[in-house]
Amino acid sequence: MLLFSYLLLGGLTSGALYSLVALGLVVVNKSTGIVNFAQGELFMFCGFLAWTVHVQFGLAYPFAFLAAIAGGFVLGVVTDRVAFRSLAKTDVVGLVLATVGLAFVLRGSARMIWGGKGDYLSFPPITSPEPIMVGTIMIVPQQMAALAGALVIMLAFAAFFRFSRAGKIMRATADNAKAATLVGISIQNVYTLAFGTGAAIAGAAAVLAAPLSLLYPDMGFAFFIKGFAAAVLGGLNSLSGAVVGGLLVGIVESMAGGYIHSNMMEVAPFVLIMLVLIVCPTGILSLYKARDV
Amino acid sequence: MKLDLKGMSAWCIAATILASPCAFAQERTGLTATSIRIGSFGALTGPGYLYGKLAMNGIEVVFDEVNAAGGINGRKLEFIREDDRCDPAGAIGAAQKLIYQDQVFALIGGGCSNATFAARETIEKAAVPFLVVASVHDGITTPPAPTIFSTALTSTIESKAQVQYAIDSKAKKIAVVSMRDSWGRARYTPLMDELKAKGITIVADEEMSPDANDATAQVLRLKQTDADAVIMVLFPKPAAVFARDAQKLGYKPLLIGQTGIGDPAAFEDQVGVPGATAKFRTISMVRYTPNDPEMEKWRKLVEAKFPGDRLSVFNLFGIGSAQVLVEALKRAGPDLTREKLVAALASIHDFPVDVFGAPITCTPADHRCNKSPAWLAKDPSGPVKVLSITRVE
Repeated sequence: MLLFSYLLLGGLTSGALYSLVALGLVVVNKSTGIVNFAQGELFMFCGFLAWTVHVQFGLAYPFAFLAAIAGGFVLGVVTDRVAFRSLAKTDVVGLVLATVGLAFVLRGSARMIWGGKGDYLSFPPITSPEPIMVGTIMIVPQQMAALAGALVIMLAFAAFFRFSRAGKIMRATADNAKAATLVGISIQNVYTLAFGTGAAIAGAAAVLAAPLSLLYPDMGFAFFIKGFAAAVLGGLNSLSGAVVGGLLVGIVESMAGGYIHSNMMEVAPFVLIMLVLIVCPTGILSLYKARDV
Repeated sequence: MKLDLKGMSAWCIAATILASPCAFAQERTGLTATSIRIGSFGALTGPGYLYGKLAMNGIEVVFDEVNAAGGINGRKLEFIREDDRCDPAGAIGAAQKLIYQDQVFALIGGGCSNATFAARETIEKAAVPFLVVASVHDGITTPPAPTIFSTALTSTIESKAQVQYAIDSKAKKIAVVSMRDSWGRARYTPLMDELKAKGITIVADEEMSPDANDATAQVLRLKQTDADAVIMVLFPKPAAVFARDAQKLGYKPLLIGQTGIGDPAAFEDQVGVPGATAKFRTISMVRYTPNDPEMEKWRKLVEAKFPGDRLSVFNLFGIGSAQVLVEALKRAGPDLTREKLVAALASIHDFPVDVFGAPITCTPADHRCNKSPAWLAKDPSGPVKVLSITRVE
């Protein structure tokens, strides 16, 4: 039971971070119809921005958090302008390749800016690194902080979509872009907002992940691939699916590593995804929705 | 068909006459009466710059010192750097540029193992003398290429030293946690061979990916086996995650690293959890830490030549290698050729170098010239210490 609880907590923490990366991917895909392959690098870049604010400038953690979100939003808007809007008349392949190109630009830029400061940069823990014993179970405050932070961001994100005007406009456009245009919604602005919001979520995820991981310019791809897997698992157009998918990827990864062998950690989530996609090709939540209808 | 032997002989003689000056010229490429052009490739940018740029800085201060003393047999050393970006294709391109465009006489350098390994064929084909500074891939020097020598430790030497250290530390239950990418495999295989050769059965064999962010599963599995020594075949990133998670889950074995995690001070910073690296030991190619008073001379030279830099172990790798190359160039004599330099390198025996764990010995059959890894540790909030030297046979 003790082993299970540790593995579950570890899996939930990793999974919550994958969920946030997946959410960013889904927001962009839902609005624009393309997968932003620069999402991992946006995540990485925001992590370095937060490090600069927190470690180099010595500002408190909340400022680093806000800087990463704001920086992410700006980078997302730039992504829209550079890799999407200017190429809007090309086909989907061209757009996707533009995001791949942007990923390399961001990675190279991070190398130029932060690459000479050490091979891996550590981000100070948000909470005390010492574990707390609750009965026989050891709770790691840092993990709990990341998990709680991820849940708060997910809730804030859900509230944004449900209650804010911008969120409602984005939902309306995602449901039917032509109808949204007919009622006077500027599709271009929605796309910009989608890229900005997606990257801002990546920024928030990066600040939560940074103290658990280490910062290095190549870190983005690993998070992207797990986030992408989570998005595919949950359904590339489903926000709640992204959350469920991310948590599932994290938990399956952790449990496979703990109960089967550590060499199964990388493989197990993808085996699960293959199995799920055979049963429901549009993602795990599409099955639920189909029954609901 | 009748062979025209006279004609063939004439052709052979003509070819020999024509080829000889050409071969002779190749042997003396990069040499003038007053200079020897030496090329170096390694990462000048990106995370591998520690093994590239910093090692090259160390080489350059040795060359400056030699030049200030009049050079070698009247010739000053010219040093040309090329960035391989820690990339195999980049290393091949860098080696080709140095050999064919810059026309260097010899090469010294090589930081990232896979990159240097990729460049081996190019260098071997051009028959340019090459002294490896920091790349540990076995394939660079095994089987030996006629002109390639190394003052870096190799994967096999380090693996043997890791096993020996665990034995010397009286570890009862030994476990391994490793990466299984090409870098990890190059170390994991000789490690397993050495364990087998010593008759040791490991209690656990766990795996981590280079990008792992959580090692809870690995730590719990090792903890269940009660392993008291963990040999880590990991990069600093997964190693830091492992050490951090081990600490948080109350698992405190002896952690045995290798040169991939060669800086205990940086590692302590990366782990960022007080006490998590208290039982971490790792291998260094050099027997001194940068803050050792013995390194004062080199600290002054490096910091004067490269303002803003602080002496690091990576500078020391370059310093040690450069001293060996300089010695070989001296021994090769004033009538210098590449062939003579190779012969001089192969004959270096028990040559004392300022930084390595033991004197350097190369032989014509074994071009792995440094087989004496030093063991480093860092007490929490204390300096890095050299614990011992392991002589690997």
